[in-house]
Amino acid sequence: MSNFHLRKAEPKDVPDILRLIKELAKYEEMEDQVILTEKDLLDDGFGDHPFYHCVIADVPAEHQKVEGYSVIGFAMYYFTYDPWIGKLLYLEDFLFSCFTGFGIGSEILKTLSDTAVKNRCSSMHFIVAESNKASIDFYKRRGASDLSLQEGWRLFRIDKENLLKMSAYE
Amino acid sequence: MDFTIRAATLEDCKDISRMILELAEYEKASDQVKITQRDLEQDGFSKNPFFHGIIAEVPEHHKSREGHAKVGYSLYFYTYSSWKGRAVYMEDLYVMPEFRGKGIGKALMSKVSQLGLAAGCTQLNFTVLDWNKSSLDFYLKQGCWDVTSDLGYHCMRCEGDALEHLAQGDL
Repeated sequence: MSNFHLRKAEPKDVPDILRLIKELAKYEEMEDQVILTEKDLLDDGFGDHPFYHCVIADVPAEHQKVEGYSVIGFAMYYFTYDPWIGKLLYLEDFLFSCFTGFGIGSEILKTLSDTAVKNRCSSMHFIVAESNKASIDFYKRRGASDLSLQEGWRLFRIDKENLLKMSAYE
Repeated sequence: MDFTIRAATLEDCKDISRMILELAEYEKASDQVKITQRDLEQDGFSKNPFFHGIIAEVPEHHKSREGHAKVGYSLYFYTYSSWKGRAVYMEDLYVMPEFRGKGIGKALMSKVSQLGLAAGCTQLNFTVLDWNKSSLDFYLKQGCWDVTSDLGYHCMRCEGDALEHLAQGDL
């Protein structure tokens, strides 16, 4: 099945984007962690200064599954900066449900890499859970390197409660 | 010691560039720095900047041995979590060695936190090298947690030839 279509996300896609985000979180056994709402996605992705960009994969009506979804994949990305090498494209989320094996994932990744190159990004970055062997293999087959393993980078985070404490430091 | 924390301006790019190189040297990777002062000026201070900066400055009488008053910096930008929404990413945090231990690093990080919260962010993310014990200890003391260790998330990168091939659809 090759007639899926990749396009830039529009405001009307927000319900599908949230549905797919929750599907991906469920796959990582983290569904209860998703607190983002459709309103957040709309305000943050389609205002004057978007925090993210999104590419959608959809299929024509005759290929829709029983539930009737035409949007079957998405990738959420934004631009970041490395003071050593400049602009980067950061792939935040990436999911293609139901139709795995039809090359949709590869096609989305190709589109994003093309976006990275066209925007003069020297690299595309993302994180993968080490337990997600299928994804790690998928990316390594395409030339990605594991910075955590190879260079010892560890991702750290401060959540809201400690962020508030930190911001109050005099 | 007296110091001020303020937003970086175009004029600070010379010192930011100097300190980026100092930080790269500390991380044993100074040959990897390709960005120049001019790149910083264009990428950080045009209409749609790719990053924001804050500077730590000391008064005249506390200047460094080589005569620098700008003794620390942080570079940050806004990102997005598909689970939690707006987030702030602290790309660089650096204080010159002779000015460490005086609360400047914490003050810089505090400023990034304030700015992030003001912009509606619910988390601050950054990366640390696993051999950098003093930094790891500092961050853990501030209430940060190690996502790589706790959730097993690995930072991945696709660059150079691999990125080009991917863009062309080669496998």
